[in-house]
Amino acid sequence: MTNADRFDCAVIGAGVMGASVALPLARAGMRVALVDRGPICREASGVNAGTLTMQMTRAALIPYALKAWELWMDTPRWLGLSVGAEQRDGLSVAFTEAEVAILEARAAARRAAGAPITLVDGARAREIEPGLSERALRVGHCPVDGFASAYLTGRAFRVALEGAGVALREGVAVTGVERVRGGWQVRVADGEPLMATRVVLAGGVWLEDMAGWFGIRLPIKVLINQLAVTERMPPVMQSVLGIASGLLSLKQYPNGTVLIGGGWQGRGGRHDGRGDAFVPEALIGNIRLAAFVLPALRRARIVRAWLGLEAETADALPVLGPLPGVEDGWIIGSVHSGYTSGPFMGALLADAILGRPLALPLFPIDRLLAQKDAA
Amino acid sequence: MRVDGRDVVATPGISVAAALLAAGIVVLRRSPAGDTPRGAFCLMGVCQECTVLIEGRAERACMIAVRDGIAVSLRGPHAE
Amino acid sequence: MKVDLAVLGAGPAGANAALAAAGHGLSVAVIDENAAAGGQVWRAPAPSVTRDDADARDGAALREKLRISTVEHLDSATAWLIARDDAWRVDVARHGRSETVTADALVIATGAHERVMPFPGWTLPGVIGLAAATILLKANGVLPGQRTVVAGCGPLLSLVAASILKAGGTVAAVVDLASRAEWLGALPALAARPDLLARGALWRARIAAARVPVFHRHTVIRAEGTERLGAVRLGRVDAEGRLVPGAPEVAIAADALAIGHGLVPDTAATRLLRLRHRYDAASGWVAARDGTLAGSVARLWLAGEVGGIGGAAVAALQGRLAGLAAAQALGRSAAAAEAAQLQAGIARAGRAAAAMSWMMRPRPAMAGGITPETIVCRCEDVPRAAIEAAIAAGARDLNQVKQWTRCGMGPCQGRMCGEAAASLLAPHVGGRENVAPWTGRPPLRPVSADDLLGDFDYADIPIPAPAPP
Ligand SMILES: Cc1cc2nc3c(=O)[nH]c(=O)nc-3n(C[C@H](O)[C@H](O)[C@H](O)COP(=O)(O)OP(=O)(O)OC[C@H]3O[C@@H](n4cnc5c(N)ncnc54)[C@H](O)[C@@H]3O)c2cc1C
Ligand SMILES: Cc1cc2nc3c(=O)[nH]c(=O)nc-3n(C[C@H](O)[C@H](O)[C@H](O)COP(=O)(O)OP(=O)(O)OC[C@H]3O[C@@H](n4cnc5c(N)ncnc54)[C@H](O)[C@@H]3O)c2cc1C
Ligand code: FES
Repeated sequence: MTNADRFDCAVIGAGVMGASVALPLARAGMRVALVDRGPICREASGVNAGTLTMQMTRAALIPYALKAWELWMDTPRWLGLSVGAEQRDGLSVAFTEAEVAILEARAAARRAAGAPITLVDGARAREIEPGLSERALRVGHCPVDGFASAYLTGRAFRVALEGAGVALREGVAVTGVERVRGGWQVRVADGEPLMATRVVLAGGVWLEDMAGWFGIRLPIKVLINQLAVTERMPPVMQSVLGIASGLLSLKQYPNGTVLIGGGWQGRGGRHDGRGDAFVPEALIGNIRLAAFVLPALRRARIVRAWLGLEAETADALPVLGPLPGVEDGWIIGSVHSGYTSGPFMGALLADAILGRPLALPLFPIDRLLAQKDAA
Repeated sequence: MRVDGRDVVATPGISVAAALLAAGIVVLRRSPAGDTPRGAFCLMGVCQECTVLIEGRAERACMIAVRDGIAVSLRGPHAE
Repeated sequence: MKVDLAVLGAGPAGANAALAAAGHGLSVAVIDENAAAGGQVWRAPAPSVTRDDADARDGAALREKLRISTVEHLDSATAWLIARDDAWRVDVARHGRSETVTADALVIATGAHERVMPFPGWTLPGVIGLAAATILLKANGVLPGQRTVVAGCGPLLSLVAASILKAGGTVAAVVDLASRAEWLGALPALAARPDLLARGALWRARIAAARVPVFHRHTVIRAEGTERLGAVRLGRVDAEGRLVPGAPEVAIAADALAIGHGLVPDTAATRLLRLRHRYDAASGWVAARDGTLAGSVARLWLAGEVGGIGGAAVAALQGRLAGLAAAQALGRSAAAAEAAQLQAGIARAGRAAAAMSWMMRPRPAMAGGITPETIVCRCEDVPRAAIEAAIAAGARDLNQVKQWTRCGMGPCQGRMCGEAAASLLAPHVGGRENVAPWTGRPPLRPVSADDLLGDFDYADIPIPAPAPP
């Protein structure tokens, strides 16, 4: 093996997390391989609802999300292509007294973390969003909100990654990683293994399997989020709408389609592939909620619904930092509202790998480990 | 049929799409993305090109039978 | 509604499956979004239409059998979701609301829809499908236009042209991708079906008698007009469907163009269920099934054209076979002799059908000949150039092309553009068989939110526990 065959870093998993780590590493001069068993950004990062939100993001992540939000609004500068990101007013609606209490608590926590959220009454909210239900009691309003078209993520990153010289290996499934002299050997399903000095695990809901390659038991819960989209329709809304408990996200894209999400659950698991088990009641419930919040949606026709897999840790906080006890091994994922925060989280981990000062702290995973065998 | 408020003579029981065609009305809507004229295409409920408002609902004109006085709006679900 | 067997589709295949199963004592619901059973080929004529041809008689007989049977016919019912727990579950939008059918066994018989390879101007009003024209004529008694050009390939060409003439209309031209010699070559396979041969001869005699110009080995280069079709421009092609350079073009004034390039199995339901599919040179991607028409999961059968283009006769026999298999699987005794007889009949009828579907195939060079600015995806107005740009940017599967261009994201759910998009991708991935179809997702057809929702209040929405703070 010559030095030329060896990568400085192999990033495994080409979702928004893996791509966001690989790009700054390559731009800093490293030789980077980004490996995915499928096409780039075809799992969570290509099928998510694209809400760039503070009100749905966990309070502890607000400082990260705010920085990432700025990045999304400015992709032409650092990424090249647009992913259709747009700033919109975000409204989080409470319809019952119990929800008002939730809303107030959540808004206060996020405000303390830096999100510019104010609480308004229904009348004021309907000035911002005329289509909103008359039944809104109290509404959280955040001007730092908006959306992107998640399905464009892969295309935009692909162009940027290739421009930065990242070796993008799509359709290459990694089966394990082994320590070899001075680095790592990354084994793949069919083909030659890759050699790299460092590895980054960025496998979304499959991080549990990947950590297992190192004998690390990292339990990752799988959320199976259902989404539905309408056909193009005349303008019915201009904000991003949610409800206080977090189980709705609703927006209309400039092309007229309305995306209905919020994390209503289908069935399945990380080893079933995406989308085998729709729960019809959850789909109908989600659409009912959407049409309750925005009555004009009753007229819509639903053209497509799908599912995607989202990762969550035991404490619903990210996996972001070194692999404990593993030299030159890193891990990233399980970020709540991870699409929103993705670009910043990736850049942060890249800074850590490069030994640069960190703008915000990492989320080391030691707290989550059920048990740890010898690697 | 009442098409955009006008009376149009149609044979009961045939599809609204066929009746419109028989009445010489071939342009049913404009495509929402490219704003080009569209008419019925597959006549079997698949292409969605004939989607118009029938009794206020977005419906495929080729899948709905003509009834006396049925109200059809060609402004369609995509019009503002 | 709870039944032993749910059948999706009431065409020749589905309706016969329902009848056979009910005949063996199963409770059966058959679901179809049309107002009457019959599917595409045996579509029920409107009351104003008087017809007395074989298809009309077969269709009427089928509807009568269904009427007097115990089969529950959910007509005007669009199935929008199929799911499986312990039993099958089909959610159906009907009369402005959604209802659920649960069943121990399921037959999918969703048939086929038409393939039209894109050409400039194919989105103009006045351009319709070739099979679409049969629906206008047979079920509605309406002509496609004053002067119609009939174009494409396969036996529907003569059927449509002859039907227009019989109804008193004008056929401006018949434009056939096939040569005369290709038609002659298909004749021997039809020997088993003298009825079809005789019908075909009658149609061609009518076309000849009306002195309709017939252009063999020609294709439509362009449909012209601004708000609607005004003229059709033709050009000569070779056996592969490639335009012959320098050959003179012919312009024909017409206000209607009926054009089709064969049929595509409607696999939306089988893809949604993640069944095994296979690539078939004549029919494209179809749901795989065994000799008893069982699909790749338990208690599911696939009858008719969803599993391969085979025509009405084959579909009807397959329907019966699937119905019997379902009855047997649910513990009813079905005569094995009848199943064997049906299988033999399917094999016999299949030969003629195979010859016809061969004549209907799109020619291999057609996709390559689509000009860059031609719209491929009608719903989203996506031109070929945009698809090529996505491929150049690294898209290597159909879902990725869709994500990066919106091709296939509109309300037809990729049915109109899927074939052309796949053919454009094929040369980059080593052939059409390496282009898997779009991932199947609900709803099976666009469904109005209103139909799903019903009357409800906030408290009726089963909102799950809140997300973590
Ligand atoms: C339906 C849905 C809606 C959502 N909506 C929002 C929203 O509106 N706003 C928001 O901020 N967040 C949202 N999220 C969350 C967000 O999408 C995710 O947090 C984020 O995309 C996760 O990115 P990732 O890179 O960690 O994972 P992924 O995008 O899943 O990437 C992991 C990659 O690893 C690859 N991989 C796995 N195993 C292997 C292997 N063995 N070898 C090689 N490659 C492998 C996979 O193929 C995959 O590409 C949503 C999530 C879902 C599912
Ligand atoms: C327009 C057209 C015209 C044709 N004309 C001829 C002809 O003249 N001669 C000939 O031999 N062949 C013809 N064919 C071929 C024809 O498809 C077959 O011969 C025959 O109809 C196949 O029978 P089938 O039962 O498999 O499917 P079909 O007859 O296509 O029946 C499928 C049924 O399923 C229903 N369906 C599908 N999805 C759903 C859903 N989600 N919810 C509710 N219902 C659903 C459809 O409405 C349809 O009624 C034609 C095909 C088409 C498309
Ligand atoms: S004409 Fe295609 S859906 Fe009506």
